[in-house]
Amino acid sequence: MASCRAGPVSRDIQCGAARRAARPTWATGQRIGLGGKKLTTSRRERSLRSAVLAVGVCALVAASGACRRDAPRAGAKPAVKALVSSLRAEPRTFNRYVSRDSVAELFAFLTQAKLVRIDRRTQEIEPRLAESWTASADGLAYTLKLRTGVAFSDGAPFTSADVLFAFRAIYDEKTASPLGDSMRVGGQTLAVSAPDASTVVVRFPSPFGPGIRLLDNLPILPRHKLEAALNAGALAKAWDLATPPAEIVGLGPFVLKAYQPGQRLVFERNPRYWRADARGRRLPALDRLTLEIVPDQNAELLALQTGQIDFMQSEVRPEDYAALKRAADEGKVSLLDLGVGLDADSFWLNLRPNRPAALKRPWLLRPELRRAISHAVDRRAFTDTVFLGAAVPVYGPITPGNPRWYSPVLPRFEYDVAAARRLLSGLGLSDRDGDGMLEDRSGAAAGFTIITRAGNTALERGAAFVASELRKVGLAVDVAAIDGGAAVERIERGDYEAVYFRFLTTDVDPALNVDLWVSSGSAHVWNPGQAKPATDWEREIDGLMGRQVAALDQAERKALFDQVQKIVADQLPMIQFAAPRIYLATGARVVNATPALLRPSILWNPDTLDVR
Amino acid sequence: MVRYLGRRVIAAAVLVAVVSSGALLLTRLAPGDFASELFGTGVSAGSMAQERARYGLDRPIASQYLEWLGRAARLDFGVSIVYHRPVVELVRQRAANTAILALAALLLATAMGLPAGIVTGSRRRGALASVIRGLSVVLLSLPSLITSLVLVMVAARTGWLPTGGMQSAGAWDAGTLSGLADLARHLPLPALAIALPLAAMIERVQSQSLGEVMAMPFALSTLARGVPRRRLVWRDALRPSIGPVASTYGFVLGGLLSGSFVVEVVTAWPGLGRLMYDALRARDLYLVAGCAAAGSVFLALGSLLSDLVSAWADPRVRQRQAGGAPGAAE
Repeated sequence: MASCRAGPVSRDIQCGAARRAARPTWATGQRIGLGGKKLTTSRRERSLRSAVLAVGVCALVAASGACRRDAPRAGAKPAVKALVSSLRAEPRTFNRYVSRDSVAELFAFLTQAKLVRIDRRTQEIEPRLAESWTASADGLAYTLKLRTGVAFSDGAPFTSADVLFAFRAIYDEKTASPLGDSMRVGGQTLAVSAPDASTVVVRFPSPFGPGIRLLDNLPILPRHKLEAALNAGALAKAWDLATPPAEIVGLGPFVLKAYQPGQRLVFERNPRYWRADARGRRLPALDRLTLEIVPDQNAELLALQTGQIDFMQSEVRPEDYAALKRAADEGKVSLLDLGVGLDADSFWLNLRPNRPAALKRPWLLRPELRRAISHAVDRRAFTDTVFLGAAVPVYGPITPGNPRWYSPVLPRFEYDVAAARRLLSGLGLSDRDGDGMLEDRSGAAAGFTIITRAGNTALERGAAFVASELRKVGLAVDVAAIDGGAAVERIERGDYEAVYFRFLTTDVDPALNVDLWVSSGSAHVWNPGQAKPATDWEREIDGLMGRQVAALDQAERKALFDQVQKIVADQLPMIQFAAPRIYLATGARVVNATPALLRPSILWNPDTLDVR
Repeated sequence: MVRYLGRRVIAAAVLVAVVSSGALLLTRLAPGDFASELFGTGVSAGSMAQERARYGLDRPIASQYLEWLGRAARLDFGVSIVYHRPVVELVRQRAANTAILALAALLLATAMGLPAGIVTGSRRRGALASVIRGLSVVLLSLPSLITSLVLVMVAARTGWLPTGGMQSAGAWDAGTLSGLADLARHLPLPALAIALPLAAMIERVQSQSLGEVMAMPFALSTLARGVPRRRLVWRDALRPSIGPVASTYGFVLGGLLSGSFVVEVVTAWPGLGRLMYDALRARDLYLVAGCAAAGSVFLALGSLLSDLVSAWADPRVRQRQAGGAPGAAE
């Protein structure tokens, strides 16, 4: 028997051995130790060993069981015609009237319908729930004839009362719908009436060039489901994420079948959808559409390459192009080149005249500085560095991707370092202390800080490139990449010197983005909400845009907007350097996709989307 | 024991209150808010103000906080600004998913790390021990983001595992077994991404601890008496060496919440970490506070669990918890 000298463990040996002496050997197992003594395996020893082994085996079994190849949903032979797309963000509500986020908009594209729609590829107005319309001679009133025999997905008939409800809902003060803002002309609401169940008259408060194009913003939600909530002042809370899918009815091609938080949205075809294709087949072509929530873009890309999803909502990043090109060459995906995008990254200086920094350094407000900046940046190198070559140089906010409104004949301040230096010298900026950097007349370093949105690699690369080019001409420029909300708050407060951001175009018609152009506009970012125009050129633009919005003749509107673009390109309140080329990738099974530059690029037209 | 548990519950309540309050106040004080995140640039000041007023973001921070605190004391953490749903409901839903992931990861990490630590702790030399040590150092050095992306890439290339998500669409339609099998296929990738660095940490701690026990006089004398090393390890040295590993579990469980958000985002696991990440990005301060509260509950539970395991492994700890003098058992 082993002796016990110290410690509890040794005592255990002794006691264990004493206990084992009374037990049969089969219960303990035996081993011959040194000196010929029998050394037995204790129960605790076996228990511990077994436990560790069991855990290990369990882990291996779990892992091996899990290693069964997961049949790619997108690659399996479909019993039903189904496609899977990724979605980067969670839905926040199913009620488009109270949300301005892109997922709510996408949800509306799938489950709701509008009176008219803009064809995202041709930019023409298409009839939808309204099958025809006529305009009054003064262009102020439009009479829309609604389709008859159309029903919501629950069978309730669609009538003009639903249209009246839609307008009442978005203009309701308690609801405070973001659509209410976008469905105004000159700050005033549209007047809508319904002479009968299949006719609607929309009257604009003043002449409006885009006309009923504006109605593309408004999905018609069911009055019979939501009117009670509107009357109770609770529309803002209706159709939240806890609403049973069966309650969410619509006039769109799909109905929501299931929402699994954090995972996916499953849509099934709306059996009562009113559209048919040219051959008379009922639409939509798909039986099911699933939106898998994949928050990480790298994982999204891999899921596409392996066939777990059929297409992505987002465009292909420049850095992902090569991998997707290889996959396309192998026939795994289709790479779609949509051409030059609508959105160019924009750089602007804070042009609010009365802020302390501008009073101390008035040269920050001068157009010569902005022209010098434009001259100092090599746009070819910019496209290569920031967009890895997949971009074209641009000199104004309207890119060649918007041919209806793009003007190729604009003043250009091309790459010319000598010209940049001359302009800076003209502002009194020179190297006074021989350190290679410029100082102003007071001896202060000539420079500023560019703020941009942290986490967006393209924006960070772009801002860094601009800063590096400006340092070459002697401007001490830094970049501060800060959190999105904080950046926005600083921009709203005017607490910045320069910004590098990207605006997302929601409509190509400038009259529908008029807030950007006019000096009183809230989106006139370099100096928003002016009581009266701070500069002569802004006053001129205000006048031109006023006429452009009201003009009913397209050629006249284009000519007026060309003048606006010319002034902007000369004064450069915002400077654009390049517009990226847009690529989309879809799985090889996807057919009849009609991709467009405006978002959602593929699902703006989900009716005809089909599977091979 | 009842008194001990009572003390722990009170400590956990204080922890939850402090952490969630801190999360709410810091989110509120940080530049930017829900409205600025939602609108971006170029929206009228009136629209921005209207949105802020709708969610009470225009109120003074003190009154906002006190009102929230009053509700939170009744376990009502408010309504999410983003989702328009009670925070408790959202958190409960996601916490269950995170708990599944955390338990699987902890099990995997223990299954890999503990035996590996026993191997390296009981053998100073040997090719196997050296390989394990080297691997541990590599895994400890790799950020979760890289581990997750590598695993997702491997899954994508081989097709062995789904690259993300928790369940396939309609997995539960074919019955519970089918649903569970589908869950088991989705679980290994995120669980491994969390478990690998954790296993390396457990291996290091276990190795160190076992090495120390093996160097104690009783162990040396046992060896000297001719008891095989393997038997000494499994029968005598393992249990006293488990204490340090057990004591790390509390922090590990708490850390799984905050550390798993990267894994949850990359592998699209609908857990609490991802919910908190989304809430932070949207500046949904009530949801951030709710997630932080859940995180501190995780931490408190993990800490309690580690204390119980330590007590199981070491009678001296049991004695201290029972209120006895330390070392009384010796």
